[in-house]
Amino acid sequence: MSTRLTALSQNIVQFARFLRLQGFTVGIEEETMILQSLQHFDYTSHESFFLLLKMIICRSKSNLNDFDELFRQYWKQLDKLLDAKRKEGTKKKKPPTPKAQFAALNAWLKGRPNKETEETASYSVKESLSQKDFSAVPDNEVAELMKCIRSLSRRLAAKANRRYELSNKTDLPDLRQTLRKNLRRGGELIDIMHRRPKRNRVKLLMLCDVSKSMELYSSFLLQFMYAFQQVYQRMETFIFSTSLQRITPMLKQKHFGEALELLSTANEGWNSGTRIGESLNTFVNEYSHKLIDSKTIVIILSDGWDTGNIELLKQSMHHIHYRSKKVIWLNPLAGYTAYRPEVAGMKAAMPFIDVFAGVYNIESLRRLSKWI
Amino acid sequence: MPSNNLQLSDIQSMLQQQGYITDKSVAMSVFLSLQLNKPLLIEGPAGVGKTEIAKVMANALQTDLIRLQCYEGLDATHALYEWNYQRQLLHLKMTEHDTHTIDEKERTIFSEPFLMKRPLLQAISQPKKPVLLIDEVDRSDEEFESFLLEVLSDWQITIPEIGTIKATHIPQVILTGNRTRELSEALRRRCLYLYIDYPDFEKEWLIVKNKVPGIDAILSEQITRFMQELRKMKLEKTPGLAETLDWAMALSALHIEHLDKTIIEQTLGVVLKEWQDTRQVQVSLGELLEKTGIIAKIET
Repeated sequence: MSTRLTALSQNIVQFARFLRLQGFTVGIEEETMILQSLQHFDYTSHESFFLLLKMIICRSKSNLNDFDELFRQYWKQLDKLLDAKRKEGTKKKKPPTPKAQFAALNAWLKGRPNKETEETASYSVKESLSQKDFSAVPDNEVAELMKCIRSLSRRLAAKANRRYELSNKTDLPDLRQTLRKNLRRGGELIDIMHRRPKRNRVKLLMLCDVSKSMELYSSFLLQFMYAFQQVYQRMETFIFSTSLQRITPMLKQKHFGEALELLSTANEGWNSGTRIGESLNTFVNEYSHKLIDSKTIVIILSDGWDTGNIELLKQSMHHIHYRSKKVIWLNPLAGYTAYRPEVAGMKAAMPFIDVFAGVYNIESLRRLSKWI
Repeated sequence: MPSNNLQLSDIQSMLQQQGYITDKSVAMSVFLSLQLNKPLLIEGPAGVGKTEIAKVMANALQTDLIRLQCYEGLDATHALYEWNYQRQLLHLKMTEHDTHTIDEKERTIFSEPFLMKRPLLQAISQPKKPVLLIDEVDRSDEEFESFLLEVLSDWQITIPEIGTIKATHIPQVILTGNRTRELSEALRRRCLYLYIDYPDFEKEWLIVKNKVPGIDAILSEQITRFMQELRKMKLEKTPGLAETLDWAMALSALHIEHLDKTIIEQTLGVVLKEWQDTRQVQVSLGELLEKTGIIAKIET
């Protein structure tokens, strides 16, 4: 029994299976690679052995982060088990394991894989979701939101242009340009020019309020921002409370969990007060010349509760409205029938808004599509 | 096969000889990538020396470095091969009055001399095993990525007019990325993965001293400390190792022996490339200098 566990190749395979339980994608290929490279390798040094395994198995940064701990856990537990075997012979008693992870590990080493949690080639977001701030945010609606936004963005992109533009791809030949270009060579067609239909590129810009008063909708907002950024390429996202921050790159992560993890470390302004005026002013001064033009639709998500400078809010809104194609203000409170935009901030911003609507769940988002 | 009897320590000294200061995980990745003949995918922030690894490897292996710079819209024709259309046309024009049959003419103009080899085709038709650097692969489109997968696994390219060209040697491939886009799982699985982060103080200092030979000891330490502090700030573009070296070289060329406020203010443009960042650092410069201990040193 103990020979089975001490053989190196067996252990590598066991370790790979253990990692698979933890959401790693370790296949037979990796196992073969490890064993192959161990052939020409002095693996008596613990450190090099560890590095070798790490470099072959890890496939992404999050893998690298988790690996050290899992490696330590596994081999430590293995040592323990071997000791127990030597001492107690065939006595099958579980060593006390305080953590659930150890339970899984034990099930492993004793050859009872837990079928429900086994995944071979997919990634699990469960671990990365356990970050402190956003641990409660589910990604249950992301798929549905993305579907909804996809149809929205299709409408945005569908307004095809009848003009053509020059293109580097060898697709449609452009006869007129080709003739013109080659006239100076006596009309011999040496260079062929190409063209493609010009596209109307509507750009989107989202400014989202993440202050205390919006807390109730935070889970929806996060999913909304994430889904939108995933679907729509030409888009920039900012969040603001007392100050402004650009979060576009963080939302571009492939997994919702990773995006949350990045977000929670990046901003300390969640759930603080609101200074819409100042935040929008920062935006106008620092980003607007780059990000807003007459093809840009600006979406602002806020309830309009402002503790800052109202005059500044007015000026900034005026500027944004003047330079953009359209300003859409989405207010979660506007869903209530009795709602009137009476808050000072909201009142000040009202004249510069093209579309004012309530968005607080998927259903309301569907209704939004007729405005864009 | 030189790679079979390579040792890990060889790799480390090999990188060291080329002036590349590194740690064990980098050496291990390079070692494994050579040993298993697998592509190596390197990710990390800008300016930490990802591309440099490929250059150093090519130097150390005494072979050519072939570079494919990826960008949005890069397609197969730019990466593989293209027919030299102009040359074909001129050739036909010149041989208009020859008595060759159409068949013969066709065979001539669709032959090697009329083929323009792009990096991927170049890489597989070298007489000696080259290092192929596919730089910033995350900038290319997803279509190109899946096309790349095909080449990376088969190592052969089919040109309809000529036939299939098989690799003479399988190149040593290095892919780099900035994590601007998630790469597909399939591509990741074909590669070994390495993440290079900003260096810590010790490592960065060593690199500065190594790469800028004539630099003053105090200055190099101050520069490194300052950069380490700078990276802790929330900047639009965090400066990398490349910026540190640029700065060190600039200050060294100016014969400056230690940092002070005016010098930093005057040369900040070497390190920071966004005006928001510059402004932010200028505002908190005093605090930064205190943290790095520069002010205290000048006063005493």
